[in-house]
Amino acid sequence: MAAAGNLLTFVSADNVHIEVERDVAERSLLIKNMLEDLGEATEDIPIPNVNEPVLRKVIEWCRHHKNDPPASTEDEDSRRKTTDIDEWDQKFTQVDQEMLFEIILAANYLDIKGLLDVGCKTVANMIKGKSPEEIRKTFNIQNDFTPEEEDQIRRENEWAEDR
Amino acid sequence: MARDTAQTPTNPRLRLLQGAASYSSDFTAPSLSAPFKLDEGYSDETKSQPDKELLNPSPDDVMPLPDWVHAYGEAERAELAYNLLRTLRASTVASVVERLAPLLHMDPVLKLPPEITSEIFSYLDPQTLLTASLASRSWRSRISDSRLWRDLYIGEGWRVDIDAVRTYEQEHSGLSSPQLRKSRLRYADPDLGEPKQKKRVPPSWLDSRATGSLDNNEAVRGNGLQAAVEADTEGDHPMSDVSNDRGTLLSAGQQSPSSSTRRESQSGSGHSKSNAQPLSTTSRRPKSSSLLIRMPNGAAKINWPHMYRQRRRLEDNWAKGRFTNFQLPHPSHMEEAHQECVYAIQFTGKWLVSGSRDKTVRVWDLDTKRLWHPPLQGHSKSVLCLQFDPRPSEDIIVSGSSDKNVIIWRFSTGEKLHEIAPAHDESVLNLRFDERYIVTCSKDKLIKVWNRRQLSPADKDYPSVFQGSGVSYPSYIVDTSEIPSPILEAEIAKNHIRTLTPYSLLMILDGHTAAVNAIQLNEDEIVSASGDRLIKVWNLRNGACRKTVIGHEKGIACVQFDSKRIISGSNDDTVRIFDHASGAEVACLHGHANLVRTVQAGFGDPPGAEETLRLEALAVDNEFRDAQRSGTNVDLGPSALRRAGYQQNTNGSRNPRDIKALGAKIPPGGGGSQWGRIVSGSYDETIIIWKKDNEGRWVVGQKLRQAEAAANASYSNLDAAARNAIARSNAFAQQAQQIQAATAAAAAAAAGGVQQGQTQGPAGQGQGQQQPLPPRWPTTNPNPTEQQQGGPWPQGSVNPVVNPSLLITNHHIQNPITAHQGANRPHPAIMNPVLAAAAATHHHHPRLNRIATVPGQPPTSRIFKLQFDAQKIICASQDPRIVGWDFAADDEDLREACQFFTGL
Repeated sequence: MAAAGNLLTFVSADNVHIEVERDVAERSLLIKNMLEDLGEATEDIPIPNVNEPVLRKVIEWCRHHKNDPPASTEDEDSRRKTTDIDEWDQKFTQVDQEMLFEIILAANYLDIKGLLDVGCKTVANMIKGKSPEEIRKTFNIQNDFTPEEEDQIRRENEWAEDR
Repeated sequence: MARDTAQTPTNPRLRLLQGAASYSSDFTAPSLSAPFKLDEGYSDETKSQPDKELLNPSPDDVMPLPDWVHAYGEAERAELAYNLLRTLRASTVASVVERLAPLLHMDPVLKLPPEITSEIFSYLDPQTLLTASLASRSWRSRISDSRLWRDLYIGEGWRVDIDAVRTYEQEHSGLSSPQLRKSRLRYADPDLGEPKQKKRVPPSWLDSRATGSLDNNEAVRGNGLQAAVEADTEGDHPMSDVSNDRGTLLSAGQQSPSSSTRRESQSGSGHSKSNAQPLSTTSRRPKSSSLLIRMPNGAAKINWPHMYRQRRRLEDNWAKGRFTNFQLPHPSHMEEAHQECVYAIQFTGKWLVSGSRDKTVRVWDLDTKRLWHPPLQGHSKSVLCLQFDPRPSEDIIVSGSSDKNVIIWRFSTGEKLHEIAPAHDESVLNLRFDERYIVTCSKDKLIKVWNRRQLSPADKDYPSVFQGSGVSYPSYIVDTSEIPSPILEAEIAKNHIRTLTPYSLLMILDGHTAAVNAIQLNEDEIVSASGDRLIKVWNLRNGACRKTVIGHEKGIACVQFDSKRIISGSNDDTVRIFDHASGAEVACLHGHANLVRTVQAGFGDPPGAEETLRLEALAVDNEFRDAQRSGTNVDLGPSALRRAGYQQNTNGSRNPRDIKALGAKIPPGGGGSQWGRIVSGSYDETIIIWKKDNEGRWVVGQKLRQAEAAANASYSNLDAAARNAIARSNAFAQQAQQIQAATAAAAAAAAGGVQQGQTQGPAGQGQGQQQPLPPRWPTTNPNPTEQQQGGPWPQGSVNPVVNPSLLITNHHIQNPITAHQGANRPHPAIMNPVLAAAAATHHHHPRLNRIATVPGQPPTSRIFKLQFDAQKIICASQDPRIVGWDFAADDEDLREACQFFTGL
């Protein structure tokens, strides 16, 4: 079972074994830190709570981005955030919403900042420029406001409308 | 979860990882867990909440599937479903597909934990967020996340006094008043204030901002370009030092009220009926404020959605000209006023210090609008410039005068500590100090640097000697670089080298060819502006002139700078912005009709501005080169364009045709956030609030007149309702004015002109009036009538021509003092008919608006000095009264929130 040399073996939540190159796996800070602590990984690495299809998607992303420069967290946090997504990533995130949200959860758990950002931006873009009704439709949200409440909130929000 | 444990790894490390995994999965679980849904009333809305259960659908309203189906795997079940569907008619398939469609859409707020939705929301602008908050209750609750709005607030380039916020939170923690519980309910949100954004929190951004907060800088550097300065210092500023300073500043604030109370009770002045609005609300009744959110553990946290909203409202008040006016002294204590025009003011916290032609320096309490000390007397001529620092560690006022001297006073007592006499050969026109040095400049064309504390040649603040022209040192300054340090130490020990006593002259900067009208000091740099039309940047350590900035067409009256920009106002009637790095002029603002005497700018740089500015500047350069290559008529020499019939827009346009210089490190206009603000005061008797239009060009936002403010301020004795009416009426007038301005600008644009600023109506004294910058303008009496009427006025009385509105005040308010001194009251006959008419109107309308400056009439309210912070502008002018514009405009919520807001 042990992965030889540069190959690691992930075991998904649904108990599927997937081989991953070490540099690809290390896009995950969680895995990277673990491997640094371990030195040599000789065992399978269980990835609980990420099932096979999601894990394969995540690995696909990591493989494509394995040569990205390390994210400089400070820069990115301090700059005005854009929701621009590069072409490959846009294609990558064209999946159903369940898959998208599970990729985001997996990226969060595995600590893959780039992927988490792409996922969050994708969802943000789904919200942008939509009316409340359109947002509800997009995400199948039940409107639980009474018309009076909705009116009240609209009035409260008026301060932001000009300029 | 259960499935993973089936194959237990033998390696303990891996078990560790797995442990972490389960923890993390618990961590992300809430959004999926039942209680969360119950909270939102979603428990039986299975249709809208597909989860993992999707794989195992067993909702009540669905026909139960036979057990053998569940025995199949995912792929088999999919195949089965497909084949099953194929047996149906197309229309039935379509309806099944339609029923399935919602399953493909799921609510991220329910599916994802708060720390991730908060990350998603962080990509959205406030407007989008407010729209999205209408989607459902759970969306609304998730979007009213305090951290999210705090980051939005900071991202706007707005600043906050984070220490004041923390103190306030501490003061209110533990108390559990019903009101607070109410507000907690209203903003109930499980994620508020809990540290859950484990790796997403901006790296202590807030703290670094606080170190540069306006108050702090004001105290240290005076009313310079503090707002802009602080943004640059973040990062390269020794943080610990600053926060130490900050701490003492805070304690200063805590100590001063008590001493102030003591003083007031001593003087026994009964002004308890004072209607002056306290700027600080700490001492006020506990109210059901939206300012705080109560945490489950009883701690109080600032409600950032509320803060964001209030700041937006405040900025809107600035943009739309909604304000109330106030004056120093309080209208019912006119006897405390300066007796002649006021040349210098600075305020910080609740204190304002002013210097006047009446030779005195006065300290004011902005809360009560009352004089705090008896006037400080020591100068034998006009006080032209000053700076003060009220912190106990500093506790000084430094003033400069046309008597050529500089006096150092103790702020808290008003006692004179030291006098540098003479400091210069002629009037001291401006001065600045920091913890180490005092820098003075004079009509004698020189800039001088003095030490504030005892200084040994081994000290790091001891000047180093620059072997070049433009700077000279007194003979007692030794060139420490020429003496090896052991010898130096020995010489000092043997007293062969003099240790400098405080206030020794360190160096003389001699580079300007006319009076040096203004200086600013920041870190190790001095920037000076002179009647010779030049701005010079000097190294404070050795006095070497680093660069000379050219641009203005006449003498320069005022200057401010930060590490990115230099802003100046000139007798050529313009305000200009220069790139600090390259010296390139990046904007020239036309709008005043006379000398621009005072200017302050806040660019509102958001975090990470340095890089943004550089990239923006680069893009502008590239666009210019592209335009050049494609043969468009662009030319760095404006004259060529002018010949071609194109008048450049110089207000910060990024059109290649408007670019004056390449290679700047900041874009045209100087960059910064959309909330950026420049306030300039002029001899045309107006103050212009410059703001940015949608294209980022500077335009006249508001034009304020000192005389109107003075008239309004004398009504601050009216009740709040009346003052609100005035505020509304102001806003209305300003809007009308804006429409006028817009029309005028459109007309000008149509005519090929681009002078956005040229909107002055009757205010314009005309360009013909320009005179060369009077070398001694502060000392020459700007108002001839003043002399005709013979010298200083008696206490409590006012010059009739200078202060038309005061007459009205006297009629309105039965001021016992003026009544007593009836003999000194100006006879109505001296009153100018126009002013009399204005006064008459004033009786009927509580606002004296649009006082036309009558041609031929001597100016009565030339602006000499102004300062603004987040909430207000205060200005000194020819009028002995100091007037202010308060943009909280009597709004309770706003005034309360303003205690935390600092400038731009």
